[in-house]
Amino acid sequence: MSGAALVWARLTPAGRILAVLLPVLAVGGALTTALLIVFGGAIAATIGANLPIVRFLAASVITFLITVPTAFLLIYMEMKIIALMNLRIGPDRIGPAGAVMSIVHGLKVLMKEDYTPPSVDVPVFTLAPVVVYLASFMTVMVIPFAPELTSVGLELGLLYFFAIGGLGVVGLMMAGWSSFNKYSLLGGIRAAAQAISYEIPLTLSVVGIVILTGTLSLPKIVAAQSGSLLDWFIFRQPLAAIIFFIAITAEANRTPFDNTEADQEIVAGFATEYSGMRFGFFFFAEYVNVFIVSALFSAVFLGGSNAPLVLPFHPEIIINLGSLGIMLPILAGIAPVIGTLVCAAPIWFASSRIKTWQALVAGFLIFGGLSTAAIGFWAWAMIPALGNLIWFLIKTFSLVFVFVWMRGTLPRARIDQLMGFAWKWLLPASLLNIFATALAVLLTTSGGN
Amino acid sequence: MPLPPTIPFIGITWADALFLLLGGVVLGSATLVVLGRDIIRNGLMLILTLGALAGIYVVLGASIVAGAQVLVYIGAISVLILFAIMLTQSKSASAQLNFQTQALPAALASALIGILLAVALGATQWGSTVYNDTPDPAGTATAAAVLFGPWLLAFEVASVLILAAVIGGIYLAMKPAESEEIEA
Repeated sequence: MSGAALVWARLTPAGRILAVLLPVLAVGGALTTALLIVFGGAIAATIGANLPIVRFLAASVITFLITVPTAFLLIYMEMKIIALMNLRIGPDRIGPAGAVMSIVHGLKVLMKEDYTPPSVDVPVFTLAPVVVYLASFMTVMVIPFAPELTSVGLELGLLYFFAIGGLGVVGLMMAGWSSFNKYSLLGGIRAAAQAISYEIPLTLSVVGIVILTGTLSLPKIVAAQSGSLLDWFIFRQPLAAIIFFIAITAEANRTPFDNTEADQEIVAGFATEYSGMRFGFFFFAEYVNVFIVSALFSAVFLGGSNAPLVLPFHPEIIINLGSLGIMLPILAGIAPVIGTLVCAAPIWFASSRIKTWQALVAGFLIFGGLSTAAIGFWAWAMIPALGNLIWFLIKTFSLVFVFVWMRGTLPRARIDQLMGFAWKWLLPASLLNIFATALAVLLTTSGGN
Repeated sequence: MPLPPTIPFIGITWADALFLLLGGVVLGSATLVVLGRDIIRNGLMLILTLGALAGIYVVLGASIVAGAQVLVYIGAISVLILFAIMLTQSKSASAQLNFQTQALPAALASALIGILLAVALGATQWGSTVYNDTPDPAGTATAAAVLFGPWLLAFEVASVLILAAVIGGIYLAMKPAESEEIEA
């Protein structure tokens, strides 16, 4: 046995992966660098000349990629919050407080067998999860995270949102039909009935806001709510907000309207015959949908990225790091040490029972917290997009919390009650809201003419 | 360097290529809607047809029509068609056409429509009617000004027609009084 084979035989699996990966990465990296050096100018010129196309592609890819960690976060939130509401502990083994649990769920789903039952309609069965996930992901593209952070600021954003969001139900029906299973079929039919019934009040409830703002563009609707707290549409259109909230709960198939996959009645509804990653797509799309409808509610009714209070002053901290010259790397090296010592000193002096290493660890943590807070404050003050994004995410995740809370609290509605409620109460209420808003606008503007 | 205005080696513009692609999808999937044997797949192909048609509207600069097309025709009407199919059909039923006795009238009607279409298409100067450059998407304001200005009468006639259809649908779906009492 030669030396190389001997070394190979002694390597652990991780070591073998590394032994293959490192040379490949080294060669690939060197080749990429060489190509960049040779063709870098031409590539940069091409990108610069086609900036709209490149921007669109980058925005699509980033939007697609952020749906995955968002879904992981929501799954973890749901597991942990419902556990706390049920007086359980919830996930606590993997990561701090079980935070990595949902990623493990994702890996588990990837590793399970992807089984296609023999009697299904194979192409339709295979495409159904794709359609469902595509509809979810395409709606993320128009969400105005901040005025500077909207991947596609469509003029018809709201119309696009409702149109593409309605495509998801086609995927659910495809899944329900092609599975060749009575429970799946019932789930698909329920999904269709529910989606059609609730889409009408959902779309009609925002017409009042469209009348008030005169636009369908989501960034402009957010901009129309800038100012104080009372400019938010939830205070100017409270009836629309209530209708909208109920309708998005039904659109996202959340409790109390989760009849499409009611596990006590119809196993898992449309997803009964699915396994492995194809089931994972449905699961993911569901949580992405919860995020999307929360984001839409916060954009349309809660002021989106506008802060609830406008500070009378805006702090401006201008730090010119370049002026420090050679001292910058020295300071960057020394400052953490000095900061840790300074923060550790009072703890060390406070009591003789505290050991030196304990004081040092505490000092390091305090200094880390302080410096993170300082950098965060500086970033918030200097980068307006960050502050806007933080406000938007706070509002969105508060709504996600409400959805989880509802799931932990409310029982499921019966399917006939659900349909009757949509047609007999929500639809007239949304029409009333439209007429009342139009009348108010007419009365207030006709005086000026 | 920016992308060339036409596709290399073929010499047609990108918008034309997109139009040809979407038009091909429309024609192909529409043919499959008619010729397919599995009725639910026909319904799905109808959705694909309408979606590609919405894409053509976007290429032609009418994005608001495209949005309405997707919202109404795919999101509502096609889903209702699928819903009706799912309620009435069974996947284990035979895929044969059991009651198809109208081959001759259908052939006559389609031949007549084909001749009409050929005459109409041949007689029109398409070069002068096609809107050449894509307009700037100015949002809803321009569309609303046209729809509620010169075309207001047509709009109102269409809404009256739809109202009549809704009333007719309710009348057809209404149960007779005696069976209602029995059920109650």
